[in-house]
Amino acid sequence: MPVDTEKRALAALLTSASSDYSRSMATVSTNVQTDERALIRQAQRSDKRAFEALYRLHIDKVYGICLRMTGNVSEAEDCAQEAFIQAWNQLQKFRGDSAFSTWLHRIAVNSVLGRMRKSKREQDRIMAVGEMDRPALETGDSGEMRDLSEAVDRLPEGARNVFVLHAIYGYSHEEAGEMLGIATGTSKAQLHRAKLLLAQQLKQQGFEP
Amino acid sequence: MNDDELMRTAAQLKKAIRPERDLWQGISEAIAEPAPRRWSPLFVQAAAVVLLIGASSGVTYMTMKENAPSAVVTTPDMIFEQASFGNRYNLGPGFQDARDLLVADLEVELERLSPETRTTIETNLTLMHAAINEMNSALEADPENTVLQGRLLRAYREELALLRRMGELTRNVMLRNDI
Repeated sequence: MPVDTEKRALAALLTSASSDYSRSMATVSTNVQTDERALIRQAQRSDKRAFEALYRLHIDKVYGICLRMTGNVSEAEDCAQEAFIQAWNQLQKFRGDSAFSTWLHRIAVNSVLGRMRKSKREQDRIMAVGEMDRPALETGDSGEMRDLSEAVDRLPEGARNVFVLHAIYGYSHEEAGEMLGIATGTSKAQLHRAKLLLAQQLKQQGFEP
Repeated sequence: MNDDELMRTAAQLKKAIRPERDLWQGISEAIAEPAPRRWSPLFVQAAAVVLLIGASSGVTYMTMKENAPSAVVTTPDMIFEQASFGNRYNLGPGFQDARDLLVADLEVELERLSPETRTTIETNLTLMHAAINEMNSALEADPENTVLQGRLLRAYREELALLRRMGELTRNVMLRNDI
């Protein structure tokens, strides 16, 4: 086979394969959404197995949000559990106006905020006794990202919450503000503050701007 | 690391983090427990009604059992006097004073209402007065008719109560409008 013909055949094959791949990925995505909708409907009829399937689908991200917001494994576990229990109790109210994941994340954020409020006095007391070194957060990030992850963990609560929801999980300032119960402008201000503090921290660690 | 790089790197941080232990067990146990039952407001209201009726019936039963004289409850400002009957309104002075006071109050309140509402109230009062006049006329022909006497007395009382209610209502309406 001449070289040009061979190249064209290869290109056609790659195009076809790429197209097939895109189609199959779109099908997978559609199937996942359809399956999720079916699971939600079943769970709304008190089907615990369907709810467990929803839990398996979403636990990693819910736990991720809880862990990055609380910076504590034990607290994050409790928050994630509480979020799913709340989700089960409120499942009848889910009408599909937003994505199920968004709805679930909102509950998780509420759970974290509620727990933070409850434990604030206790935390203040501990901090007053002495600055304690927090153990490094096990997020699975590596290299430069691990450094950033740890720097985020050291941010003050307000700035950290906004940075986690907006910069890491991709929620808009409006969504983040709504989840956190703050104004959109406050969310933007907290992000600005977070960026400044992170830049300072990273500079100290040798990351030059 | 500038702002853009920072945001790009942040967006690449892991979003899904697997918990070190399976959390489903705790969730499963929590959702297996039946939700704590709360008394529904409707049930509470129903219970309150039953209690009220029960208590009321109990008091009535005890009163009847002891042949105690029945108590008549009247509000201090309600004045019921024996009315006499004849060719015109022939009420006792206390009764007539209370009525005149209420009518005067109502007239003041009516001034503040819309013309439509005022017309509706005045039409109803006119109908009531017409009925009272008719009964008075009937009693002229048959002064000893106790049924008519009873009805006329009831009509006077209803008129008094109606005047009082309308006065209160119009005042409340004005309060709401003032807000």
